[in-house]
Amino acid sequence: MDKHLRVLVVLPMYGGSLPVGRFCARALRRLGHTVEVLESPDFHSAYKALEGLRVTSDRLQYLENSFLQVVSQAVLAKVETFEPDLVLALAQAPLSIQALKRLRRDKVATAMWFVEDFRLFTYWQAFAPHYDLFAVIQKEPFFEQLQGIGQPNALYLPLAADPEFHRPLELTPAERKEYGADLAFMGAGYPNRRLAFRKLLREGFKIWGTEWEGDPVLKPYVQRNGARVSSEDCVKIFNATAVNLNLHSSIQAEHLVTRGDFINPRTFEIAACGAFQLVDLRGLMSGAFAQDELATFTTMAELTEKIDYFIKNPEERKAFSRRGRARVLAEHTYDRRMDALLDFAAERLPGWPRERSRAAALDAGLPEHLRAEVAALLERLGLPADVSFDDLVWAVRQQQEKLSDLDAAILFLDEWRKLYARN
Amino acid sequence: MKHVLVVQLARFGDLVQTKRLILSLRAQPDTVTHLCLDASLEPLARLVFPEVATHLVTAHGAGLAQAGPVALFTAMLERNRQVFAELTAQRFETVYNLNRSPLNLALASLFEPEQVRGYAWRQGQPLQAPWPELAMRWSGQRRLGINLVDFWAHFADAPVPPEAVNPEARAGGAGVGVVLAGRESRRSLPPEILARFAAAAFERAGRGRILLLGSKAEIPAAKAVLRALPGRLADKVTDLSGKTDWVGLAEAVGGLDLVLTPDTGTMHLAAHLGVPVTAFFLSSAWCFETGPYGLGHTVHQAVFDCLPCLESRPCHLEHRCLAPFADPGFVRFLSTGKPGHAPEGILSLRAEFDSLGQTYAPAAGKDADQKQRLRFRAFLARHLGLPGAEKGVPDSGLAERFYQERDWLVRNNIIDFKY
Repeated sequence: MDKHLRVLVVLPMYGGSLPVGRFCARALRRLGHTVEVLESPDFHSAYKALEGLRVTSDRLQYLENSFLQVVSQAVLAKVETFEPDLVLALAQAPLSIQALKRLRRDKVATAMWFVEDFRLFTYWQAFAPHYDLFAVIQKEPFFEQLQGIGQPNALYLPLAADPEFHRPLELTPAERKEYGADLAFMGAGYPNRRLAFRKLLREGFKIWGTEWEGDPVLKPYVQRNGARVSSEDCVKIFNATAVNLNLHSSIQAEHLVTRGDFINPRTFEIAACGAFQLVDLRGLMSGAFAQDELATFTTMAELTEKIDYFIKNPEERKAFSRRGRARVLAEHTYDRRMDALLDFAAERLPGWPRERSRAAALDAGLPEHLRAEVAALLERLGLPADVSFDDLVWAVRQQQEKLSDLDAAILFLDEWRKLYARN
Repeated sequence: MKHVLVVQLARFGDLVQTKRLILSLRAQPDTVTHLCLDASLEPLARLVFPEVATHLVTAHGAGLAQAGPVALFTAMLERNRQVFAELTAQRFETVYNLNRSPLNLALASLFEPEQVRGYAWRQGQPLQAPWPELAMRWSGQRRLGINLVDFWAHFADAPVPPEAVNPEARAGGAGVGVVLAGRESRRSLPPEILARFAAAAFERAGRGRILLLGSKAEIPAAKAVLRALPGRLADKVTDLSGKTDWVGLAEAVGGLDLVLTPDTGTMHLAAHLGVPVTAFFLSSAWCFETGPYGLGHTVHQAVFDCLPCLESRPCHLEHRCLAPFADPGFVRFLSTGKPGHAPEGILSLRAEFDSLGQTYAPAAGKDADQKQRLRFRAFLARHLGLPGAEKGVPDSGLAERFYQERDWLVRNNIIDFKY
């Protein structure tokens, strides 16, 4: 997509798709688009406070629905002000069907990146038809089902990494001690993982992440008492660990290695860090990585065997890591995903994006000495030199502190133009 | 010494109507008052507010849109920016940002929202202080509204008394000034009617000259008034339309016996100078909002159910509010001043003060809103904590109408509440 767009990213209030949304926003900005993020997590504590009321469940549901309607209205208000070319919602973003209908009526393009397992998280059946585009991390039979309920614009868009964030780090000795291990796992305590990891226990094994409580066998290995680990610390853990376990989650424990289809974000993130991982083979993995780019396993026996092998063979680990990182940097970044999504939108949505008046920021007539200052402003705001004046104004408005005299003069010029120069 | 800034980017009339606020700020001890305004109004500001430090920006159109990008960028990104840098460097204790215009909001972005009273800006979010927000609520009932001078004055902690704003108007002996038109055409009177009023007023004054006052745009109207005036007055008329700058206008108006005018900036200038005003308010003009400030002025307000209307909306009632002024009986009423001579649809009012500021008492015609207005003004006086306003039982009916849940639930700081 070579056009400069305005994208409103609507984050979920919490959960696994929240960091994905933030990575999307970063990527879109890097691609030169003007991005606004609706910070739904800011509303989450108020939403949760409703649960503390101790009222009847009917009343609680009513209050929660009402609250979510308000947040949906906030999205609509933001759309009205920002006038985005695209509203990009991540799974669980607080957009009601009513709000989606309103956006469709107002011809505001909407896209959902549904980074969930459609078999488990089934609510998509009600919401998918109301989005203009529906990007997913699985293929058939999901596509067919989406088509069947009236969503013709489904796009396979696997998860990815952000190489500015997920990158090799030089860690201090103290950090290596804190975050490092021969073998570690970073993630939530799903049933299949709980059972699987009991078979892998060894000196120095570290389990990071939440939802591991209630398991006395694993408890000694769980770090920080099962506290949430920040995305920044995850990167340190990946970097400091010789063998990162990556076992895709499952809510059942019958099959510990599930041979499911989608690839989890951890796969891309660990690879982008240049770290080594042992990951369970997934149905969609062959389209994303070559066999020598990821070390995989399909059974617990194979996993156990490979853990021992790779712990003893650091050069092999390095070779996998190098090739895996190269593949991610080339094909599996959020920048590539966002580009693909926008190209798909252009292909599927007639007349999208609509033309805007796009007077260049550096209009002819700007005095020479001001050019340098405006150019410096563009750089500070991370905007391309050919950004439209309107988008420059928007970026100036988004700054978090009181504005400089040049910023204010640009806003003033914009308002003056609206009053006197546009008719 | 503390510095305070008033941001008034609007036009002639609004600038003069900022006077009570500026006098109130100047009355504060150890305070230097600054005024940010459109550069074109600087000479006027010097006349009206000689002791105020001015900061001049380009905020009005004034042909700049046609002048090309070099002129535009020089004005907006060089000169304006330089002024913005001066404003930032001054470290104002308080900034009084008086209008909700987008230009005012853009300028507010220079300051911390805590510095700003009125219309502020916090991280890209425009904010409206409680006092102007309350005004927005009553703007749905314009017949009750208060004078703009007083609205702005109450941005200050302690406004000077209304008596301290303008001198009580007295005839100066130099004749009659006729303001040809306001900016909004429907508020103005046609030249033939103005000519009749001018002749009657001049003969009543019996001295001086008739001055036709207006900008270049009013030159044709001046010619039409001249044609419509009785021939015997031809040599008494001086046509100043398009011939005066701000200083010249003030010199021409000062010393007149009377200024006949629709709702205009010149009307406010006359009031500032203590020249008696006889104002004609119709269409969108409502004297309780923007009438002449001070004592000694008279307003003839058209009163119909549809008034005050919105100038931006077309009138489907054939401008019926003009009819009372066109009535031949109105000239007789102007000459005699007898209430019984006032035509239907006219409410004649005499300028008065109350604790809130400017108001008008009926001299002829029926003020159907008076009771409600007095009630509303008492409510506002209590809201502002004006002396004596706390007496009696509060008006819970008006309180429920004009206060909202947010006021009660979120604003619990009384100082915050006022502004």
